[in-house]
Amino acid sequence: MTVERRGWRVRLLTLWLPLAVAMFFALFPFYWMAITSLKTNQELYSRKVMPLIVHNPTLKHYVDLLTETSFLEWTWNTLLVAVISTAISLILGAMLAYPLARLRFAGAAMVSFAIAATYLVPQPLLFVPLADLINRLGLNDTLTSVILTYPTLLIPFCAWLLMGYFRTVPVELEDAARIDGASRLQTLVRIVLPLCGPGFISAGIFAFTLAQNEFLYALIFLTKTEVRTVPVGAIAELVRGDVFYWGQLMAAALLGSIPVAIIYSFFVEHYVAGLTAGGVKG
Amino acid sequence: MTAVLAPALTRRRPAFSFARWVERESVFSWLMVALPVAFLVALVGYPFFYGIWISLQDRPVAKPGEFVGLANFIRAWDDPVFRQVAVNTLFYTAAATLLKMVGGLGLAVVMNQDFRFKNLIRALLLLPFIVPTVLSTIAWQWILDPAFSVVNWVLKAADIADPGPSWLGNPHLAMFSLIIVNTWRGLPFYAITLLAGLQTISPELYEAATIDGAGRWGRFRYVTLPLLMPIIFIVTMFSVIFTFADFQLIYVLTRGGPANATHVFATYAFDVAMGAGQFGQGAAIALSMVPPLALIILAMAIYMRAPK
Amino acid sequence: MALGSRQSRRDVLKLTAYSTAGALLGAPAVRAQTKSLTMMHESSFVPPYDAFFKNKLAAAYEKEKGIKVNYEVVSVGSLLTRVTTAAENASGPDMTAIGFNWAFLFDDKFVDVSDIAAEIGKESGGWYESAQESVVVNGKWKAIPFGNIGQLMNWRTDWFKQAGYDKFPETWDELLEAGIKLKKAGHPFGFELGHGFGDNHGWLYPLLWSYGAREVEADGKTIVIDSDETARAVDYCRRLYKETMVEDCLGWTDVNNNKAFLSEQISCTNNAESILWAAKKDFPEMAKVIDQSENPKGPKGRFHMLNPLCHSIFTHTKDQKASKDFLRWLMAPAQAGPWLDIAVTYYQPFLHKYDDAPMWKVEPRNLPYRDALKTAHLPGWPAPLSRAQSESVAKFVVVDMFAKACAGKSTKEVIADAAAQLKQIYRAT
Repeated sequence: MTVERRGWRVRLLTLWLPLAVAMFFALFPFYWMAITSLKTNQELYSRKVMPLIVHNPTLKHYVDLLTETSFLEWTWNTLLVAVISTAISLILGAMLAYPLARLRFAGAAMVSFAIAATYLVPQPLLFVPLADLINRLGLNDTLTSVILTYPTLLIPFCAWLLMGYFRTVPVELEDAARIDGASRLQTLVRIVLPLCGPGFISAGIFAFTLAQNEFLYALIFLTKTEVRTVPVGAIAELVRGDVFYWGQLMAAALLGSIPVAIIYSFFVEHYVAGLTAGGVKG
Repeated sequence: MTAVLAPALTRRRPAFSFARWVERESVFSWLMVALPVAFLVALVGYPFFYGIWISLQDRPVAKPGEFVGLANFIRAWDDPVFRQVAVNTLFYTAAATLLKMVGGLGLAVVMNQDFRFKNLIRALLLLPFIVPTVLSTIAWQWILDPAFSVVNWVLKAADIADPGPSWLGNPHLAMFSLIIVNTWRGLPFYAITLLAGLQTISPELYEAATIDGAGRWGRFRYVTLPLLMPIIFIVTMFSVIFTFADFQLIYVLTRGGPANATHVFATYAFDVAMGAGQFGQGAAIALSMVPPLALIILAMAIYMRAPK
Repeated sequence: MALGSRQSRRDVLKLTAYSTAGALLGAPAVRAQTKSLTMMHESSFVPPYDAFFKNKLAAAYEKEKGIKVNYEVVSVGSLLTRVTTAAENASGPDMTAIGFNWAFLFDDKFVDVSDIAAEIGKESGGWYESAQESVVVNGKWKAIPFGNIGQLMNWRTDWFKQAGYDKFPETWDELLEAGIKLKKAGHPFGFELGHGFGDNHGWLYPLLWSYGAREVEADGKTIVIDSDETARAVDYCRRLYKETMVEDCLGWTDVNNNKAFLSEQISCTNNAESILWAAKKDFPEMAKVIDQSENPKGPKGRFHMLNPLCHSIFTHTKDQKASKDFLRWLMAPAQAGPWLDIAVTYYQPFLHKYDDAPMWKVEPRNLPYRDALKTAHLPGWPAPLSRAQSESVAKFVVVDMFAKACAGKSTKEVIADAAAQLKQIYRAT
């Protein structure tokens, strides 16, 4: 839709109003998290005061979260796990995607069917066998256990996305490189990959988000406090019996997600561009 | 590995060039896909078939299993809760996906304009998708509490109802509330992905449509929608898969209550496998997710790819 | 396997052969030196309780015996998942906290601790009978009971007083009467009827039992849920819900009734000590008007929920003796006493030595928890421990029977549903 000079009324009705509604729906829970993390317990539970405003703000929950729990350690673990499993997923995903997108080989149909099928495998079916496998590999209570298992959820997606992206690279470019004597691998690394940067960014963002969110595998594989990720660590230490440490839980949610959102804001344009290629052509 | 192999092979058969062998399309392809395929076979394929094997056994936790054939599946079929779970899951998936699709498309169209703070707003809208689900769901526990919910406050202040709707206590409302929370979490991804699709549509097409006399709706119906179909299909597929297997959100908010009104396959399978320690039954329930999911996706593929 | 003083060279050889064979077969062999042990625990509602283990008990043991004891917490709801994976994989922590009938479920994976249980019992005044209900499997103790996290009626004395009640109602019928008055006065009740882990079973099983109803007979086979007694309990529950409670309870999990009570939405609920505890910390004024009482009586008596916290040793531990030694040490009065004290009766000891311990004087309002132990049972009672029992709880058969009735289904229908489910569950195991 081209940007036309429309009257402010039209613009209000077609842009700002719906945008405001969407923003409200998306961000109201964050507002709630923010105020909950700043309220004292007395105020949080009080039905006498208006719940949408913080009357006596306190940073106690943030201080407690940072000093009494291993939140920073969990954050570091989460980052480490998310970054490495994202990297693995991108590399393996690209290794699947390129041949499937560009080359003809016997068994290609079978491989693409297998990738589609991995989408359908229900996670609740996998955790018992996977726990057994991880144990046989001696990886219990190591970050490696989740670094290895998360890509199973992420590779199919990355492969699908990158496949679409590889297809957008003009074949002529590759042919020219091959005629100049470049090997297939050189063509891929020097010609194709640099053109697909946005594709990797978008797949990376998606993979990173899912990896830092994951709960079930992290719960099963990671017992020791020092190897926990944010979701599992926060639930283990801040949900005590039937009492939730609301303020600290919400502080953890915000501290864990807002920095990521800020980083994403620099990438979001590429994300959009990357998805475009993957989606439309894939 | 290749470096070791190469000289040995060349020595024996001088005509053979390893470098050229690798350059063969099928060889190069398989060298590329071998590692990821092996990875997926080991960490998805093997556990998957292992899981199928478990589903054919009476396999209590911490005890050896005993082969029982399809008994677990037959038993699930006879279990009224299982049937309710199946209906719940289908409804939950259908409603949440539809909401995300319509809302996401609308939001994408709105965001596909030029406005100030575009990137910031887009990133902020992604927040629900970024924040760890277990933690954001805990915030919803307050938002859906009749004593603190905004809706209830408004109703109460206006003297219409007190305490007003019970968002998680009423079986029908509970399902509705979970669908809303799921939509909240999934919609940003939908919208951003569709926005990406919208940006590829060339403005000339709209101009042409306008010249042909198409209005705002006509342009959407005959230009935007058909061109966006492939990407709508892909995100919908993703949404169906993730919603169908949703676990965290429901487990934190209601754990399937009230009286199983919000129990879905993933939560029920988890409770039976982990809570009751019946791995065989749990695996059978989890495995029952596959055929309906595969069918839905197949049906969608046929419908959306069909020439119109 | 301590070596006797008259050991000959042959004995040593034999022993070495045994332990080598043991090691090869994967059986636990004696290691010369165990340097560390790991205890897995649910994160306690009382944070100082966890801290006491980590900072005081573990440190003392390391100083005394040179063995470092790690303490790893998981959230209450996640403990079973972790115990399951540890038992299945035969790896992970050496010892774990357990509850309910897990001693039975993981029978093969837990070490027989009958010997130290007997010693501990002798040392500390004998075990409560209810302690054995959850840990004795085929005549063997598979866990050492530590304390019961009892569930009682938590109520607001000020509001009850306004309605004319100076003490808590004696019977369920009187409770209903009181609830009707209180709801009219704007102070409804709120008992969990949803899919939580404990606060639902915590009062619904006792309600069922106190009407003389059971899921299954003591033989563990005959399903007897379809009875007039059950029907009366269901009818009562429906009235209690409709006439005294907030609608929201049907969807509650364990956290919700604490939240509702502390935000003054409800005047009575069934819960562990956590409400009074949290109130004393954050709402001292409210804490003054909270009391805790035993469950009301039904036509067939008074019942409570048994919710034991026990410690088990995994058979996969490399050194069973080291773990046993530690548990033995832990349960000696010098250790268990202060550890129980720090939680001030949140864990009600199963040993008679502590019947009049000072911790009961700290908060007299907690005393009913001690008395409730005598009438406390596990879900599934009076049937013996079984897998079916776990399945019934995990599938919320009894909870949902009541919940469906509250949501409007007929008594006949909900009992028929529960009976059908129970038949399927108990037949299959």
